[in-house]
Amino acid sequence: MEFKDYYKILAVAEDADNKVIKTAYRKLARKYHPDVSEHNEAEEKFKEVTEAYEVLKNPEKRAQYDEYRKFGGRSSGRQDGSSQYTEGASGYGDFSEFFSSIFGGADPRGNEQREGYGFTSQQSFNQRGQDIETDMPIFLEDTLADASKTISYRLPHRDAEGHVSEINRTLNVKIPAGVVNGERIRLKGQGGQGVGGALNGDLYLRIRMVPHPLFDVEAHNLIITVPLAPWEAALGATVEVPTLLGKINLTIPANSQTGQRLRVKGKGLVGKQGQGDLYALLKVVMPSSTNDDIEKQWQQLASSAAFNPRKEWSK
Amino acid sequence: MENQYFSFRELCNVTALPSQTIIEIVDQGIIDPEGSDPQTWQFNTQMVSVTKKACRLHDDLEIDWSGIALAISLLEELEQIRHENQQLRAQLNRFITG
Repeated sequence: MEFKDYYKILAVAEDADNKVIKTAYRKLARKYHPDVSEHNEAEEKFKEVTEAYEVLKNPEKRAQYDEYRKFGGRSSGRQDGSSQYTEGASGYGDFSEFFSSIFGGADPRGNEQREGYGFTSQQSFNQRGQDIETDMPIFLEDTLADASKTISYRLPHRDAEGHVSEINRTLNVKIPAGVVNGERIRLKGQGGQGVGGALNGDLYLRIRMVPHPLFDVEAHNLIITVPLAPWEAALGATVEVPTLLGKINLTIPANSQTGQRLRVKGKGLVGKQGQGDLYALLKVVMPSSTNDDIEKQWQQLASSAAFNPRKEWSK
Repeated sequence: MENQYFSFRELCNVTALPSQTIIEIVDQGIIDPEGSDPQTWQFNTQMVSVTKKACRLHDDLEIDWSGIALAISLLEELEQIRHENQQLRAQLNRFITG
């Protein structure tokens, strides 16, 4: 079991008063709150600072902790009966094993049930099961029609004696056509089991669109970058362009420019207000190799075209 | 597909919040259900998630509800801008490489 230096965690001195401790806690809580922070370990950090504050703000707990800290954990720590709690709730929050070893296994907050990073109480008699939220990666192609997907997720499971462990659950789910990134789909009753006859929690699938190697998404429209040879841009061409549903022939008008967008109606994503479009974004690229003959032709072009692309600068 | 909408009562149940708290959250404009009064309110799954987030922030950071409304709208804006930034970077990458 790892010793936790609560003073270090809150970055306060050992003799810091309550006001200093509260300010330090508030700053760190705002910084690491999992709903706010993008930090990789936000959840862990937030739990850690909350635990530290829980102890240091309370004179009795602080005194007990100071004593424990002073004697390097050799006295006054409770080593009994508390492991069941932390093991049982592993992965679903709760304070650390270290906290339990000193202060016992009681719910540190004494009340609410939290989800995700929260603090789960084991003591309720009639409590709705926990809601679970999990990411559901979806390919763009899968959003064009209703899709059947298999999802695996972890679920807290409470046995007859009230011990909580995690189990893996696999479900087949139908993802409706036209889902968008960030959308949440509710699967009623597929979350944590209820206690004392209460309802099960729900499962929420949070749709995460997997980036596509060819297409970018803007609302319900798709964008594909179409590389063109300089002479294709100059003379116009018919180019084979991939869409989500097979290839199409796209007509490139003569004198096309890099950055120009050509709209292909109805070849975008399925939207709630109708089908989106595909935009071909043109990009003129130079050939990477050349030879004397080609160079000569470019030189001829240079002298006959009399084109100054930087005309704007000389104004 | 199952019903993705929640009544006022259902929202109270799934979030384990007192009705007064939900009313406060709606009054602050943190979520904007369809319907004109609590009897006809309809909340979507996104609103359930925002409600839970609002409560976590309210409890954990001791912010009052009007502060939560501001925080939530700024967080949403931030998320949207991050997403847009990510998209534009991806597009730019396709444009300048290859």
